[in-house]
This record gives sequence, C-alpha cells and structure tokens, in this order.
Amino acid sequence: MTIGSIVACLKWVAHPGEPNDERFAGMSPADQSALEFALQQGAAMGVGVVAVTVGPAGAERVLRDALACGVARAVRIHSARPMQSDDVAAAIAAVIPDATWVWCGDYSLDRGSGSVPAFLAGRLAAQQALGIISVSRSADGVIEATRRLDGGRRELLSVAAPAVVSVEGATAHLRRAGLAALRAAGKAPIEVVQSSTPAAPYDAVVHPYRPRARALAAPAGDAALDRLRALTDAGAAVSARGEQVTLEPAAAAAKIVDALKSWGYLA
Amino acid sequence: MSTPTLGLDCDVIVVGGGPAGSCAALVAARAGLDVVLIERGPFPGSKNMYGGVVYPRILDSLIPEWWLEAPIQRWVTRRSTMLLTDTQAMTVDFRSEAWGRPPYNGATAFRPDWDFWLAGHAEAAGAQILTSTTVTGLIRDASGAVVGVHTDRPDGDLRARVVIACDGVNSFLAKEAGLYTHTDAKHFTLGVKETLALPEEVIDERFNVRDRQGVDIEILGGTSGVNGGGFIYTNLDTLAVGVVLKLPALAAQKARPEDIIATLKAHPAIAPLVQGAELKEYSAHVIPEAGLEMMPKMTMPGMLVAGDAAALCLAAGIWLEGVNFAMASGMYAGEAVIEAIKAGDLGSKGLAGYERRLRDTFVLRDHRKLRRAPKLVLSDRVQHLYPAMVANTVERMFRVDNPAPKPGVRRILREERKRAGVKLSDLARDGWNGFRSFG
Amino acid sequence: MSTTPPTNRPTEMLEPHAWGGMSFQERMATAEFRIHHEPHIVVDGSVCSDCSTRECVVACPASLFVPTSDGGIVFNHEQCFECGTCYLVCNREGAISWNYPEGGHGIVFRRT
Repeated sequence: MTIGSIVACLKWVAHPGEPNDERFAGMSPADQSALEFALQQGAAMGVGVVAVTVGPAGAERVLRDALACGVARAVRIHSARPMQSDDVAAAIAAVIPDATWVWCGDYSLDRGSGSVPAFLAGRLAAQQALGIISVSRSADGVIEATRRLDGGRRELLSVAAPAVVSVEGATAHLRRAGLAALRAAGKAPIEVVQSSTPAAPYDAVVHPYRPRARALAAPAGDAALDRLRALTDAGAAVSARGEQVTLEPAAAAAKIVDALKSWGYLA
Repeated sequence: MSTPTLGLDCDVIVVGGGPAGSCAALVAARAGLDVVLIERGPFPGSKNMYGGVVYPRILDSLIPEWWLEAPIQRWVTRRSTMLLTDTQAMTVDFRSEAWGRPPYNGATAFRPDWDFWLAGHAEAAGAQILTSTTVTGLIRDASGAVVGVHTDRPDGDLRARVVIACDGVNSFLAKEAGLYTHTDAKHFTLGVKETLALPEEVIDERFNVRDRQGVDIEILGGTSGVNGGGFIYTNLDTLAVGVVLKLPALAAQKARPEDIIATLKAHPAIAPLVQGAELKEYSAHVIPEAGLEMMPKMTMPGMLVAGDAAALCLAAGIWLEGVNFAMASGMYAGEAVIEAIKAGDLGSKGLAGYERRLRDTFVLRDHRKLRRAPKLVLSDRVQHLYPAMVANTVERMFRVDNPAPKPGVRRILREERKRAGVKLSDLARDGWNGFRSFG
Repeated sequence: MSTTPPTNRPTEMLEPHAWGGMSFQERMATAEFRIHHEPHIVVDGSVCSDCSTRECVVACPASLFVPTSDGGIVFNHEQCFECGTCYLVCNREGAISWNYPEGGHGIVFRRT
C-alpha cells in the first residue's frame, strides 16, 4: 500500500483527568497543531493530506475529526492494544514508505515519551525535526522551521524532504470544520490495515511524573548550616557545571551517560 | 433512510442533545427519516445539569427494559420531605422495596451520562449527531416558516423540512421565532449544586440503604430566607446537595448561592449526612419553574418546541420532574413530525398532532392539574411563615412541660399561627389552594 | 488510669465555613471549562454605571460579575456555566448581550 506524500500521524488519547472515559478522549493539542501544519502544507503544494492513526476502532474518531478538517484520506492501523513506540513507528512506516513530509505532535496528552517521531524518522530514513514551534515555507522540498531550546533560545532549521517534523502543542490553531465536511466525515470510509508488527503486548501505565529519588552521600560539615549549604549549594557562587567537548555522536552519548551517572541521575 | 428533497440537507433537524432532543431524534430516525441532531457541547449531556433524579417510565415504549443498560447511580427507594427552620427539622419519610426492583420508579443519574446514553440510542436508530456545533439562528422562508438553522461552523447553514427546538431553558430559537411572548425572571429559579464524594458504604450507612438503593430528600426552608428549596440525593459514591432559588428573591436578598448551600450543609439535621464529603463538582443551571403560566406556543410552521425550551418542567413542591417531561415531549414531537411529513403538511395544522399529544397525556395534564402549585410553593407564606408554624406546633406537641398538662393540639395550632403572623383567612385560602392543586 | 467523664454539653452549631474550607477559586476549579478566547457574553459597562441594584453580582453562581471602584462592572467569561441567570435578573435593557460560546467550548459537566 502506497500513500501520498504528506502525512499527519494522529493519536487518540484519553483525557488525563478522565483516563477511562471515551467522551473526553481525542486528539492532543500537539497533534492538532501537526494536522493544521500538514493541511496548510498540503494546500500550498496542492496535495491531499493523509491522516494515520494506530489503535482500536474507537480511535477512528480522531480520523473523522481530521476528515472533517479536510484531510483527503484516513487510515487506521489496527491494534487492539497499546504498543511500544518503536513498534508504532514500524507499523506506520510500513504503511507510508514513500511519504515526503510526516507531521507528528511532539508529545501525546497521555504523557508519551515523544519518541515515536524519532523512531519513525529512523524507520523511514528521513530527517527529523522535533520540538518545532513555527514553520515558514521556502523552496520546494525544504521548509524553514523554528525550534525551542532551553533558556528562551530559538534554533532555525532548514529541513529537507523526506522528513518527520514533530510540533509542540498550540503552535498552530486547528481550523474549525465546516458543517458539510463534518456531516460527510461522519459517513466517510476509513481504510483499515492490519499492523505489520504483531508487537509484544505492552500495557501502558499512565501515572503522573515524579522525579526519582536519588541517594546522596551525607554532606560534610560540623554545623547543621554547613551541611545544609553543602547539600543545596545555597550561598555558593553560581558556577557553570560541566564542560564543553567535541566528540563523535556515539562517544558524546557515552560521555553524557557517564556524567549523568556520576551526578546521580542514572543508576 | 429517505432521500431528502432537492435543496434540503435532511428531513428533520433536532437542536439540542438533551433528553427531549434525543427522544425526538430517536423516534423520527426509527421511522426512516433523515435526522440531524445538533449539540453545542463536545458530547451530548456535557452542558446539562439538574437536581439528580430521573423518572424514566415513559421510556418503556421506546427502550424496553431500559433499566438493564441505563447509566443510573442508585434506584430511589426512599423519598423524604423535610421541613427546616434554623434549629428544627421535620421529615416525612417513605420507602418502598418495590421501587428497588424492575420496572423501578426513579433513579439518580448524572446528566452527562444519562443524556449521552440516550443520544447513543438516537444515533443507533440512524440519526446523525453533530457535536461542538452551536445553532445561532433560524432560516425562514418568505412566509415566515422555519426551513433550517444557521450554525457557528463555516458554511454552517442546514436546511430541513422541520426543526425540533430542544435547545433548553434559554431557548433562543423559540424566542427568535416569537413563540415566547415574554420571559420574566420571576418564572425562573436557579439550581446550584455540589456533587460531594463519600465512600459507597458510608452513604449506605448514613442514609440507611444498601444494594444501590438511594434516597431523595426534598427540603422546604433551609435556603437562608431566599424563596426556594433544597435537596439531597444519593448517587453511588457521591451526594448531590443543592438549592433551587427564585431568581428575583436571590438577587434582592444579596445572598450568594454557594453561601446558601454552605448554610444548608451546616444545618444540624444535614451536617451529619454530608460531613467529611469532598467537593467533586460545583454546577448551576436555570430552571423554568412557572409551568403553564410561562409556556410558549408549542408549534409554528416548520418548527416545534420541546423540553425545557417549552418550559415543560414540573416544579410543584413535592413533585419535581423535568427529564420525563422532556423525554415525553421529544417523543411526541417526533411522532407528530412523522405524521406531518407523511401528510405533506408542515404548517401549524400539520403539526397540530404535537399539541394534541401533549394535551392528552401527563405532559400537559399534570401541568394543568398542578398549575397553582409552583406559585403556592414559592409564595412568601409557604416559604417564610408556615415552616416555623408547623415546626413549633409539632415541637410543643411532643414537648413534655410537666407539671403543666398537655395542651390540646387545636390550641397550640391557634397560638402558633398567631405567633407566626399567619392570618386565618390566608391559611384557609392556601389550604384550599393546596387541596385543589395536590388533591 | 484516668478517664474523661462523658459530657452532655451541646456541641456548637457548625459555622457554614467551619469545614470544607474551600476558596471560591477552588470551588470553580472542580468544573471543567474549555475556554474560547472570544467572550460569549458582553457587558456594556456604560449601561451598568448608574445601576444601583447590581443583581448580576449577587446572583451569578460563578461570581463572574465584579464591581469596579469607578462604578462599572467587570465581567469574566471564562468560567461561565452558561446558565442565563445574569440576563434574566438584569433589568437594564442592553447591559448584557448573551450568547452561547462557540460549539465545543465552555462548561463541560461530568458528575451532575
């Protein structure tokens, strides 16, 4: 099965406050932005957008929302149970091998790790631009995108096709579906394909984020105040921690892992 | 499904996915009509709030054995009517095991659950439900007949043979169509409510019930001097505690709604029931309270009005019903529309079957019978004088004043009537009115 | 071993706010509002300025009408129950223009 060049990957997610209530489930804000960017790009290029989701039949509701907003085709990759991110990416990649632009939300509402776009880029051998907050079009086959960095900085990216672009929530306001389109979407056909990865069962556990506790050596100092200072760095001159190195990616990753271990963030 | 005539988008537009709208859509869709139900909330029921008890007998014909699937909280097997003064409480309590068995009588339920469930039946019958869509006005032809609605979506006009307006108490459609000659604050009450969490077994214990049995407590007095009433209903693991307040009285007395609930909850007779319960949801809604006195014209060419939009809410003191009137009026509107479409006449004459059905059934018969009740129950004497008179009379009947001998009940009544400042002629008139209303 | 003798003194009647202890903001936070940036209700302060009764201020269950020091009324549409109380109790023609928010927005009830 070959599918057109602009794809929006959408996930049907539960409302964090009502995890077991389908009335509150829907597209996350990041996915809504991704869909809007995809529709804008589709309109500019004169190409119909394809919406893809992975999930049970109930997940077709996001596809109907997308159809109402103007996507040309909707495909559901059937999966009765939650899957690991890489399996989701593999299942999507198998359906859209020739896609040139793949738009994803950065994170789903249910506190996903945001890793599907990365796996998907890997599977499609495409470029990846993540954390995008705005997009301006430029030459054919290339887009200019802005990404948010720490400390209020911005990074301008020039992204060439094929690429997987994941966008933050509320960066583009999803258009309001017209009435006739909404009516038609309710009855439109949705293509269903079986997942190419009969993935190992994986039960997603949704829980609020809590930083892990880490063990620290007892602080030095005779007085309680000294020990407190040693623990908190309070009163110490603010100094930049860490070092700047230039390394190959694999060596850099190993170095980061070592540093995180030594600081107690990783076991 | 029939194919609508050229220039029409569908046969029937139902505005509002509440109990009236869903029953109207269900009936019309089952007859094979092309029905579109438009709901402004993200799902049917999301905008809807009420006290908390539904009496679904009317569903027997639409959804046989509805009790096997309806999303109810508890079956009401105890009904209490409570009269409060600041320091006294008198309760008349009734319970029946029959109400805890099929076919049941009343149940507590959350409206977002109940209405969503009912809308699901309309959808299953073939009606198309469009959510997150607000109807903003009527489309009318040169003769003034309604031929469709405007919505707030792009290209948002929708045309149909007939529109059933089930758009709730504020019914802008009925007003736009001129079916309401006037709306007056005195015809409305404000319902405010707290949904309070308590463990199921604590509710069972405090309210003396078990096995999904529930309690309905209606309260006269206890509303901080604002004309109205209070209520407590048991859900599975929450309580619905709230007050219904006459709008002009609320505005005039400078009492905030949430403070009136807080005062009710602190009453010595109520506090032990709600102690330690955590607020899960605060909610409010306006209620059309005046019955026949405020009802609009029910039909016009191309449009019918049902449910709260038609003020079909029975607020008669000991009877507080709305959802059943909404479901029935929606059902009858659907039936009348089928008839009118078959006859090819969607003018006033063709739609007359709707009003006939309302008149011939409990929908208007109950309202006619109880037409004096809303005013009487919310009157100043019933609200402010009688509770103290009755409670003081009963207190003196049961108080042992030895060595003084027991006084006769007639003497107590006379003295307490005078002390409360009630004229015998007023009492007689209210008593006669009450007898005529409720008898 | 000493035991406290049981007393039969009446306990004080509970004050309305003696328990629960919840602020109005916390109360309103129990309801979900999907806020639309455009206000669906607009208050014309110039009509309100010579109103002395201010029914909306006391009756609105969400307490969205706030009098200002210069005699006007500030209105916040974000936590509106869409009940209609304000326009029903208001006796100034044209002071409150009342509509429903765009479909899908506004109050979303769950347990009521």
